[in-house]
Amino acid sequence: MRPIELTVNGSSHELEVEPRELLVYVLRERLGLTGTNIGCDTSSCGACTVLVEGESVKSCTMLAVQADGREITTIEGLATNGELHAVQQAFHEQHALQCGFCTPGFVMATVSLLDENGDPSEQEIREGLEGNLCRCTGYHNIVRAVQSAAGQEVSA
Amino acid sequence: MLASTELQEGRAIAATEAPAGGYVGARETKHNGDLFLTGRAAYFNDIVLPKMSHAAVLRSPHAHARIKSIDASAAEASAGVLATLTGAQIKEHTGPIPFFIDPAVFGGKTRDNFPLAVDKVLMTGQPVAAVVAETAADAEAALDLIKVDYDVLEPILEADDALKDGAPIINDGWDDNVVITLPFVEGDAEAALAEADHVIEDTFEMHRLSTQPIEPRGNMAVWEKDGSLTFYGSIQNPHPLRLHLSQALGVSESAIRVIAPFVGGGLGLKMHGHPEEALVCVLAKIVGRPVKWLEDRRETLLIGGIEQTHRFKVGFNNDGQIVAIHNRIVANVGMLGSAPGWGMAFLSALGFPSGYKVPVTDVSVQVVSTNKGIWNATRGYGKQGTNVVIERMVDLVARHLGMDRIEVRRKNMIEKDEFPYATNSGLNIDSGDYHAALDKLEELLDYEGLKREQAKLREEGRYLGIGITFELTPESADIPGTIVGGFDSAQVKMDPSGNVTILSGVTTPGSGNDTGLAQIVADEVGVTIDRISVIQGDTDTCPYGFGNYSGRSIVSGGNSAVLAARDIGEKIRGGAALLLEAGDEDIELIDNLARVAGAPDRAIPIAAVAETIYTLNFAIPGIPEPPLESTRVYKPDNIRHTPDEKGRIQPYPTYSYAMHGVVVEVDPETGAVDIKRIGIVHDCGTMINPLFIEGQMAGAMVMGLGNGMSEELKYDEKGTPLSTRFKAYLMPRAGDVPAVELVHQITPSPFTLLGTKGAGEAGVGGGMSVIANAVDDALAPLGVTIRELPVSPPNVLKAIDEAGSNGGRG
Repeated sequence: MRPIELTVNGSSHELEVEPRELLVYVLRERLGLTGTNIGCDTSSCGACTVLVEGESVKSCTMLAVQADGREITTIEGLATNGELHAVQQAFHEQHALQCGFCTPGFVMATVSLLDENGDPSEQEIREGLEGNLCRCTGYHNIVRAVQSAAGQEVSA
Repeated sequence: MLASTELQEGRAIAATEAPAGGYVGARETKHNGDLFLTGRAAYFNDIVLPKMSHAAVLRSPHAHARIKSIDASAAEASAGVLATLTGAQIKEHTGPIPFFIDPAVFGGKTRDNFPLAVDKVLMTGQPVAAVVAETAADAEAALDLIKVDYDVLEPILEADDALKDGAPIINDGWDDNVVITLPFVEGDAEAALAEADHVIEDTFEMHRLSTQPIEPRGNMAVWEKDGSLTFYGSIQNPHPLRLHLSQALGVSESAIRVIAPFVGGGLGLKMHGHPEEALVCVLAKIVGRPVKWLEDRRETLLIGGIEQTHRFKVGFNNDGQIVAIHNRIVANVGMLGSAPGWGMAFLSALGFPSGYKVPVTDVSVQVVSTNKGIWNATRGYGKQGTNVVIERMVDLVARHLGMDRIEVRRKNMIEKDEFPYATNSGLNIDSGDYHAALDKLEELLDYEGLKREQAKLREEGRYLGIGITFELTPESADIPGTIVGGFDSAQVKMDPSGNVTILSGVTTPGSGNDTGLAQIVADEVGVTIDRISVIQGDTDTCPYGFGNYSGRSIVSGGNSAVLAARDIGEKIRGGAALLLEAGDEDIELIDNLARVAGAPDRAIPIAAVAETIYTLNFAIPGIPEPPLESTRVYKPDNIRHTPDEKGRIQPYPTYSYAMHGVVVEVDPETGAVDIKRIGIVHDCGTMINPLFIEGQMAGAMVMGLGNGMSEELKYDEKGTPLSTRFKAYLMPRAGDVPAVELVHQITPSPFTLLGTKGAGEAGVGGGMSVIANAVDDALAPLGVTIRELPVSPPNVLKAIDEAGSNGGRG
């Protein structure tokens, strides 16, 4: 077991973890942050996407020990004082979620995408979200939500 | 114990007044969206029970083998292991898994499927043993210690091989490998083909695919201290599963509670009949603790569907009129499992001739069992088999005659004044205006402009393709003698605070019918949607219902909510009339108020009326009786189970339809298909929420395009699955598709209360058919005819090569 310290959604946690333990399991099972979902075992679906130091990371591709000393944001930590983050609000208004299982991953990937490129084209949005799979929406309303969150006019 | 999460219920996030014109038809957003957007929605894997243990399943590495012996003793002694179970022991604990739809109901063959293979395995991945341990990792590690001695048999993987004379019979006790053969015959096809001006004979092969929701399956069972069983699962049909668990386990239905939390996509794959449902119940009994099993993606990818070959003849006249279709379909359902997948083959034949007036049809499907994986339902439930092949036929006719494909469709489609229209297979199509939908699609796409652009690009050596297809979607089925039910239930309750709870027999694995139910009830009882909660997916609290499949949730569940809500509205009106000294008929219920029509100052909060009914019922003579609760069932019209003179039944109340158009560019060097545009005209009758219907259609279309372009469950020659990960089973990503341009057309169904038809499946068959036709059209100058799906790069290159080797004759 290795001691690590994680700052998750602003709270500091000192933990003992197995060297093989993946970040996603620490978030879900140790810290009870079950909003981060697991959809595959091969880093293909992106349902487990979180922010590490503000950048999107598939939390099934990172060992918990690699996250030692770093700041992590999960879907539970995005809203402030009960106010949805602009990306969460846009996903709601544009009906960018159906079953909702991939949604936390898409929201976190979108926060990271817009942080890197505040005014993306539709093509840049589609390419920027290629790491995440959605089986319900056909991506149509997800793209519109990203446009809306970027303050752009939403295409029809 | 659902730490900081909530089960399948929720409350709207924003208090509002009702939209002008009411909630029904408004573009309401998800009423409980905040749960999903903040990570508080509880899915199966988020449920934690005290003393929970974990199961893992050992699966056969062989497609066809006899089990000589299993030794689980080393696993039993492994770290953290609580119990092991093998096929040799399974019959001591459970009977066979009941079929969701038993082929025997239709005169076909059946088999006993136990949760663990008893003596013979029929597919790679069939469960043969299970381990329960303290952790999932301990359970999985112990699987490696189980020794199974197999006598490996030659697998039969292709349906045509299984049908050969003298082919080995894979199911013990059967006399061949055919589950059932289902014919649908109207008229004399041979004679009609002989008289037709032209006949085309060809084949079409549809590959094996799967729906693969992003959340895998999972089940957990716990035997309570009173001997009752609680089952949690990512499942679509709680009440029917309760019946089947009762039958398998020999436990009273009343002693079983089935709970489906929020489901991360169902798509047919989470209809039950899988081995792991009864298995976790048996294991939980053995260890005396809750047992949880969570599927991994390799396991999800064992489940397939659709694989079928059509060998057809289509007869038509010089004017483009199609006069006869003869089609022999062979469907490879793999190992016959208890899940409802095999029935999709039935639908692929039943659906002919779709929305076309073809006077003579002779279509039959042979359902063949092989050593590939089981089928389960795939969104579209086999209708994509009909849709793809009939739309290929129409394009073949058009090309043969040099007519425009739109003209051939116009010529053959059912006219709007011919509904309800009885089809050759006995279906009764409720309503529609197919020609108007085609006109709208032509306009949406600028079809003539596209053809000019295509001609111009062809001169530059570029291959633009335009695909046009019609899609008919029979929905909300009731199949007699099975738990495929066409009716459903709703309970609507108003408490003394004026808040409303809807308990529904239908479930929502992502379709959003819960928000639709809330909209419907809000209008009927006059409260704003933030005062409404929806509870689904719990057999102890919800009225009896069949859950989710066949685009049924609003047709059956929504309309039953209308009836129940009207009962409540009537009592509120009665109470308000008394309190406001007006007639019942003068009271209108809106924005949480009961008010006298035309006299806005004479109003009382609905909550006050409810409180009065509950608290002053003895004091006020004539006030309506409590409780403010009503449970109602809605049975749609048009379903007919009394066989007609030809023995045919009519299992569907409603028939949604759509016209699809896509534009693609194909690179003949690489075989890559680039989708440029997607256009759809969709009619599902009255819409409760256009925003949700657009979401469903966009999702179904992209799923259909993926099903048709890139997704394929492949096997090697030994029957070992090759598509075992999302890196090998290629579902569309955001960059693979463009925006979806969607136009609504509304033709209410005369057979449902609100005029709604099923929604949610349309688009899957459309996506598959329209991509086949678009690629075919793109490569027409090379003499290519598309005869198989998927139109993946290797298959496209193969089609180009074949066209080249026969001199470009297709």
